[in-house]
Amino acid sequence: MKEILVSIRNVARREVNRMSSRSLYILVMLVFPLLSILFFGSLFKDGLPTKMPIAIVDLDQTATSRKMARSIDVTPMSKVVEFLQSETEAMSELRAGNIYGFVVFPKNFEADILTSKQPIVGYYYHNAFLTAGGLIQSNLATVLRSLSGGINIKKREAMGQSKDYISSQVQPIQRNTHQLFNPTITYSVYLSTIVMPIMLQIFILLMTVYSIGIEIKEKTSREWLRLSNKSVVIALIGKLLPYTVSFFIVMMFQNFILYRVMQMPMHTNLGWLMLGSFMFVLAYQAVGILFIGVLPLMRHALNLAAFFSILALSLTGFSFPTDSMPPVIQYWSNLLPARHYMHIFQSQILTGFELKYSLPSYLYLLIFVLLPLIILSRLKSALIYQRFVEDIHSMNSSI
Amino acid sequence: MKNKSLNLFRQIAEGFRSMLRIWMRELHLIILDVGVISVVFAAPLLYPILYSTIYYKEVVREMPIAVVDLSHSSASRQFIRKLDATPELMVAKNSASMEEAILAFKNRQVRGIVQIPETFSADIALNRQTTISTYADMEFFMYYKALMAGTSYATLDAGNRIQINNLMKEGLTERQAQVTVEPMKLVDNVMANKAGGFANYGVPASLILIIQQTLILAIGIMAGTARERHAFGTLVPLDRKRLGTLRLVLGKTAAYFTIYALLCVYMLGMIPQWFGYGRAASLPELIALITPFLLSTIFFGLTLSVAFKNRESPMMLYAFTSIPILFLSGVIWPLSSFSPTWLFVREIFPSSNAIFGFVKMKSLGATIYETRKEIMALWIQTGVYFLTACTAYAYQVYFSERLRSELLSHPFREMRRIIAKRQA
Repeated sequence: MKEILVSIRNVARREVNRMSSRSLYILVMLVFPLLSILFFGSLFKDGLPTKMPIAIVDLDQTATSRKMARSIDVTPMSKVVEFLQSETEAMSELRAGNIYGFVVFPKNFEADILTSKQPIVGYYYHNAFLTAGGLIQSNLATVLRSLSGGINIKKREAMGQSKDYISSQVQPIQRNTHQLFNPTITYSVYLSTIVMPIMLQIFILLMTVYSIGIEIKEKTSREWLRLSNKSVVIALIGKLLPYTVSFFIVMMFQNFILYRVMQMPMHTNLGWLMLGSFMFVLAYQAVGILFIGVLPLMRHALNLAAFFSILALSLTGFSFPTDSMPPVIQYWSNLLPARHYMHIFQSQILTGFELKYSLPSYLYLLIFVLLPLIILSRLKSALIYQRFVEDIHSMNSSI
Repeated sequence: MKNKSLNLFRQIAEGFRSMLRIWMRELHLIILDVGVISVVFAAPLLYPILYSTIYYKEVVREMPIAVVDLSHSSASRQFIRKLDATPELMVAKNSASMEEAILAFKNRQVRGIVQIPETFSADIALNRQTTISTYADMEFFMYYKALMAGTSYATLDAGNRIQINNLMKEGLTERQAQVTVEPMKLVDNVMANKAGGFANYGVPASLILIIQQTLILAIGIMAGTARERHAFGTLVPLDRKRLGTLRLVLGKTAAYFTIYALLCVYMLGMIPQWFGYGRAASLPELIALITPFLLSTIFFGLTLSVAFKNRESPMMLYAFTSIPILFLSGVIWPLSSFSPTWLFVREIFPSSNAIFGFVKMKSLGATIYETRKEIMALWIQTGVYFLTACTAYAYQVYFSERLRSELLSHPFREMRRIIAKRQA
């Protein structure tokens, strides 16, 4: 037993030495992950986009239309940047991407309201920018509806209805919106909490594949295996241990930024958060071993790892729900540890549900950790025979 | 004098010939390299189809919700039918209590809850305002949006019905009542992507991103391979005579441009056509945008490629940068919410302006004039990265030439020995 521990320590020490020999290691383990945390943390810091540019086309130019334009301008989500003369002009600005939407007050708008002719007020928004377009749409609809409600009240007052009666009538059914288990409506809760782990899994996965693959490519794998008493299990544990520690620390730092600095809701205790993060790191290291075991030619394994990990952005389903994807894609999405981590985030960290709702996800992550067992013997022979080296010299005989 | 100009002409012709040679040689090398070919062709061919499959349904429809009806009246049942009839929502569960509904929510059977108060029908009958409560799933924004849209439609519609009925009881005609309730008619005009589809929004952006990323990757792999293959780890081979910087850069650029111009026909022409991602843009507009995009990306890639020492590092860079660069484009997160720092970083990558311009053109048919900001920015990038690529390659050529002359200073046998040693 003691012998095993000594071997692991020796392999780990050898790995730390290798790490310091190339700048790539420090870049992938520390610099890039920290940059990604900085990038996504600061990009979404507002929570919701505010002051998005829109335009007003006021063909009426009366006190009523101008007052309404002002009411639209003061909403926090949009900002009127232009007053334009015609709808054509506004369409051109919309096409140019200078504004995300606009409102048109027609000619005779005020007069038509006074004479009960029900003028048409059109609002336009650019839905190719789905986030901005959707927010502008709901914002404009809400403001215009309440302005319309204001006129409704005035008309009823003119009819001689009592104040109490009017307030019960203009909106007979009110809607009270509650957010289940999450008090804030901010995009950053959806985006940063998921995008940051998705970025981290790319680093973990590629780093794992690289650190093993480079031994095969540079034919140092026999020396590595010798140091670990010819046991591939010891070799892998010793080699990957420094990365486990380092990525776990990075992930906990990321959690600190998310839940302490950015104040994301967290309804679980530190222990569970640490366990989830630890299993996330282990699961991706395990997938990395699996990939290099299946494709011991490093470049192929890296291609596979890049393909697999970038797709997590779509397949975890945080932007477009997995339930609405075709069944084949739904099965595929279960093959991503990130998806199960997201489940843990949603059923436990964010909402504080009872453990039984997130337990299956922990079990899934555990299965990922055990996956390398099926590939160990193939990996070992790849390490010993070093057959998987690309022959690029045969292609061309340049010096 | 005559002799001199003839000389210059001969030199240009010679330069042009060797550019053509480099162009063909690079094309030859690309085609022979299975690793590069799979990156250049497999990714652009497969990704668009894969993404279109993932987002096949485009929008969330008939999202299951639970209704807690405490009123048990005909008015409340009518309201529930209205909710169920909206395209966004489907009443999957009639729960007796809030606890029951929350349990269904935790089990992910429903994605939202609507509670109708006990006093619902009495409130309406007695002309009191009544309040329904909605509980939204805040984990997925699409689910939140669907619940908001569906309940908002149902409450407005039912509310207007009540208002009109009451006003008619007071003696107004139906038309008069309608105008009182809705003094102005609000018309919702959705421009581009009418259904609010997700593929329509995400795929065009990722098409441009894939072009940029695979292009940089391919150039990087070729450069890394060249270094691994050349005995002295140089980017520019030593055994070629007179490899001028300009012809090297232009020759390589021509090779990548030919391949990617053809790929663009498939990715930006055929894929959007097949899957119906907007067809507003016409060919001249697309050419005006894509030409500077490809050129700036190739020069950018050539500049970066100098740094790659082996075949693997370009792939790692590709994996690490793709997602942040997609967010930098301004299609997902509006540019008005970017800080000045990130707006500056955004200008580093040709994809940012190309994605924005392409989405504008494809979705609403923005003209060249309306896309001038992006096209101008791409030409500026082309100019800047052309200079950086030339500088980077000039250094590599200089480096190779120095090594070459250093080698040539040895006697022939000695030189053979050194080369053989390095090649082993």
